[in-house]
Amino acid sequence: MATNQGPGPTADETLPYGEIFDRGYQHYAGQRNGRAYAIRRLIIYSIKRGLGIKKRWTSKILPIILYALAYLPALIIVALLAFIPIEDFDGLGFDSLYGVLELVILIYASALAPEMLCDDRRERTLQLYFSRPLTRLDYILSKVIAMGILMSTVIFGPPLLLFLGLTFADDSPARYLVDHIEDLLKIASYGILVSVFFGALSLSIATFTTRKGVAAAIFIIGTIMLQGIALSFYEAIGEGRWRGLLVFISPPDFVDSLRRWLFRVDSQNSMYASLDIPGAFTLVWLAVVIGGAMYLMYRTYLQED
Amino acid sequence: MATAPADFVFETDAFRKAYGSIVALEALSVQVPRAAIGLLGANGAGKSTLIKGLLGLLQPTSGSAVVLGMPVASQGPLIRQRIGYMPESDTLPNDVTASDFVGHMAEISGLPPRPARQRANDVLYQVGLNEERYRLMREFSTGMKQRVKLAQAIVHDPELVFLDEPTNGMDPQGRDEMLDLIRKIHNELGITVMLSSHILGDVERVCDYVIMLDSGRLVVADDVTHLRQTTADVVVRIDGSIPDLLNALGKRGIEATQQGSEVLLQARSDAEFDAVRDAVVEANAALRALQPRELSLEDVYIRTVSGLDAPVATQDQVAARGD
Repeated sequence: MATNQGPGPTADETLPYGEIFDRGYQHYAGQRNGRAYAIRRLIIYSIKRGLGIKKRWTSKILPIILYALAYLPALIIVALLAFIPIEDFDGLGFDSLYGVLELVILIYASALAPEMLCDDRRERTLQLYFSRPLTRLDYILSKVIAMGILMSTVIFGPPLLLFLGLTFADDSPARYLVDHIEDLLKIASYGILVSVFFGALSLSIATFTTRKGVAAAIFIIGTIMLQGIALSFYEAIGEGRWRGLLVFISPPDFVDSLRRWLFRVDSQNSMYASLDIPGAFTLVWLAVVIGGAMYLMYRTYLQED
Repeated sequence: MATAPADFVFETDAFRKAYGSIVALEALSVQVPRAAIGLLGANGAGKSTLIKGLLGLLQPTSGSAVVLGMPVASQGPLIRQRIGYMPESDTLPNDVTASDFVGHMAEISGLPPRPARQRANDVLYQVGLNEERYRLMREFSTGMKQRVKLAQAIVHDPELVFLDEPTNGMDPQGRDEMLDLIRKIHNELGITVMLSSHILGDVERVCDYVIMLDSGRLVVADDVTHLRQTTADVVVRIDGSIPDLLNALGKRGIEATQQGSEVLLQARSDAEFDAVRDAVVEANAALRALQPRELSLEDVYIRTVSGLDAPVATQDQVAARGD
């Protein structure tokens, strides 16, 4: 069956547009793509699902609210730049914007990961995916990438918007861009690293349940609990310099320390400033957490058929 | 295992799958020609395990399998690109339209977006879903979901399609329509079909070749017509004493049973038919009829599963019959 796609009929012709013809089942002799293509299509499909595209309107509410919350502060600052001299913006830099975004990032990660994984397992659609050229690893990789891309739209997008606003508010945008290109690289690096970090963490939790609400709650509550535990031990330990290592068990504080290291922000006010953690060590821990989360997902999906 | 000849759609060599102490498939060795294949067996016989093994979705405990000439162990993704699979259970997402989902599955099988969308609509129309294809699948009846599952299995134009209990949960009319569709897929579209079912009538209606499994063991793998002939009863009607005839047959080592005014026995060779004739003479009876009575697939299944006496066709036998 196909819609009539030929030249449109003239006014006196009776053939309407969109008439359905039964042309029967036909063998397909066209292009067939491989696994890489299948992965790309699954990434695109997962992104659309995450955003609620081609789903009921209720599925679109949360993404719209979260994107509004994520972009509104940056938009307000950019709008203010039109009226206030750039020199007066000392206190409203990227660091403060990231502080505002922290909660949005957590909520988005908790809502998005179950959307990526839980439906496919609860509705047993995995059987259909795995009967295709995709392997289990391909499936997981697709979901992590889709999750990373979506997360980066709230982690990378607003600071990028602010950066562009600052650039165009400057008397010489080109000079500003050249002078601050390092900031742009830092924003991009941080966006990618934190997107994949939170993406992998929340996805690995969503792997263990088919109920979206449960997965979201575990991620949020788990994150808050880990932060609380780290803080309790930090205070209980007292003055020991090594108590700063507790930053590694608290995802929000770890991301905070990553940002402070990457943006060279003064750590005097940081709770974990007692330990001057080398940047390479932070990156290794990041890789360990992401790798561990993906391995956990792979192990779980090996048992799925 | 060597690459399978083109005329075998798949073959297994001592393919065994065990989960701890539970054996799902016991050293299955079979060579299956291109045909409408029926996979018969009770629940738990190992049908779904075999299908998943052939799809490369589970690793055998030992043994190997070749599908469409490619070893499953090393070519799983390539094989799956040329295979369609309709699982037994409900596997469709609720909040997606049938058209979007089947199109997505076509893309995952490697078709570019535009042909994928077009073929999704074509195939959904072919399986009997018209405007419904633009509705969310949460609103679909069981029969409509089965049709969508069939559509996603053939949307990428596979060479071989595995249908696992495709008539599950369908009403009689829907079942008839589904079986007609499956028959059409094989006959008119040239797609090799393997229909897994515990309903013998479904397999009998659609398939030319049958594989019977029982508790993970291969019972029969043979052409349906040949199987019926080789397992057929011979009916003997006489004017005379049936007990005398049974006695005379017994002396010649032929097991026979009386069923009303007829005697039923199994005879395949000329010598056996000669022995029946001699027994009739010995019983001083007049032979009124000596004719084969073809069994239904159900009779064959019951007989073979209970006795495990039916032969598995060898490669030479299959080739000799021109399968």
